[in-house]
Amino acid sequence: MTAVLRAELLKQRSTRTNLGLFATMLGLVLLAVLLHGFGLPAKNLDSAASQLKLLAPGEIIGTLLAALLGAMSITGEIRHGTIRPTLLVSPGRIRVITAKVWASMLAGAGFGLAAGAVAAGVSRAALQARDITIHLDLGDYVLPLLGSTAAAALWAAIGVGVGAIVRNQVATLVGLCAWLLFVENLLLGDLANLTVGRFLPGAAAAAISGQKPDPPLLAPAVALVLLALYAVATATAGSVATNRRDVA
Amino acid sequence: MIEATDSSKRHGAYSGISATDAATPATEPPPATPVVAVRALSKRYGNVGAVEDLTFSLDPGTVTGFLGPNGAGKSTTLRLLLGLAEPTTGEAHVFGRRYRDLDDPARRVGAVLESNDFHPARSGRNHLRALALAAQIPSARVEEVLEIVELAGAADRRVKTYSLGMQQRLGLAGALLGDPELLVLDEPANGLDPAGVHWLRTFIRRFADHGGTVLISSHVLAEVAQTVDQVVIIDHGRLLAAARLDELTGRGETLEDIYLELTTRDAS
Repeated sequence: MTAVLRAELLKQRSTRTNLGLFATMLGLVLLAVLLHGFGLPAKNLDSAASQLKLLAPGEIIGTLLAALLGAMSITGEIRHGTIRPTLLVSPGRIRVITAKVWASMLAGAGFGLAAGAVAAGVSRAALQARDITIHLDLGDYVLPLLGSTAAAALWAAIGVGVGAIVRNQVATLVGLCAWLLFVENLLLGDLANLTVGRFLPGAAAAAISGQKPDPPLLAPAVALVLLALYAVATATAGSVATNRRDVA
Repeated sequence: MIEATDSSKRHGAYSGISATDAATPATEPPPATPVVAVRALSKRYGNVGAVEDLTFSLDPGTVTGFLGPNGAGKSTTLRLLLGLAEPTTGEAHVFGRRYRDLDDPARRVGAVLESNDFHPARSGRNHLRALALAAQIPSARVEEVLEIVELAGAADRRVKTYSLGMQQRLGLAGALLGDPELLVLDEPANGLDPAGVHWLRTFIRRFADHGGTVLISSHVLAEVAQTVDQVVIIDHGRLLAAARLDELTGRGETLEDIYLELTTRDAS
């Protein structure tokens, strides 16, 4: 298992794909936090709760890009045909998918931590630049940072699982973007009022990082367990699908 | 020696088994486990049969041409043999076991199924290093195979800058990482220039001369005729012939004559 994991980690860092995803993520977080930090009226940013909301783009964008990273780790292999040599040297397909999950979770955690840190740093800088009193001390950033890290790591695992099930790279990436950016927020928005939407994986990721919208999300610890269950279920389904299907 | 069973005997003069069995002395010890043993292998996709009741086996130290028209089922058979696809019925074993059940497959079997199974943005060296890591092969072996396939000077370039011939050789380098006993190559001469074809032929002969077994899928008959000891010819997923090349061409016919006769007869 360790050998396959080391191979997957080398694959992660031996192309510029993940570097490109990371740079894209940092740029988007920077842009989103700056827009909110400088665009919102000062009176909307004069409480600890409102200032915490400035950190939300870090969690959302970090989670999304980590999910794409995870998905690309398997759909990229299928797209470029490297899945064949990969499975020829490591015929244990469940072991290969498991290694991809761990490697992607590690990289995803880095994405989440970086996105959370950039969001925290830029939002504080924006508030200071506008002479708005900062109501958050350093301890208030711990949960958002840890939450972003955990949410991104778990969504990276979900990305691997979804990619292993769908296999087509474009369909997988579009599907993940659509789910995280639109489906949960728009189509299922009303469900939040019915308390069902809180249990969806995107909402669970937001809850882990301590976001407190109205109506409220799950408690962070509960959301962490729920999102971990989503990750395990999706990765397992991806492993089973990969194990049962023929490789073209 | 090559063995084929009943399905090839239908074609009389081109069935290798009767000739090879007759030539086997009664006192000879029982044969070792074949390197490749395909028995009653079938693969169906819905109502379409890609491989139908295919049986043949290969012994060590032989170079076998696996021939057939496009769509004959050659690539499907190789995927079944290498555990990338599951047979509908029958079995395909290497060294007496399913590929998936081999303890250390990269050290037993090296395979190249497509000429461009690489991430275009990854360097040739990193492609090989990732395979070596997964197979627990020392990184020094990566440098050795790069030298063998004469790609050491280009190893740090991204694969998308490689010519088709260089990609073929990189694929071969990956197959050689574990210093395997069996090489399975699907259309290895595709895209190679004459010098590349000559290099490949020399390489394969040298590999076999050192005891290795090679199974080459191809439809470049002229090239195959210069490289292989024996052939397995299939069409529509069925075995048409399995015999030593010198047995097939012993009456003065060329491999192309025999191939066309068999495949034309099968099509009609």
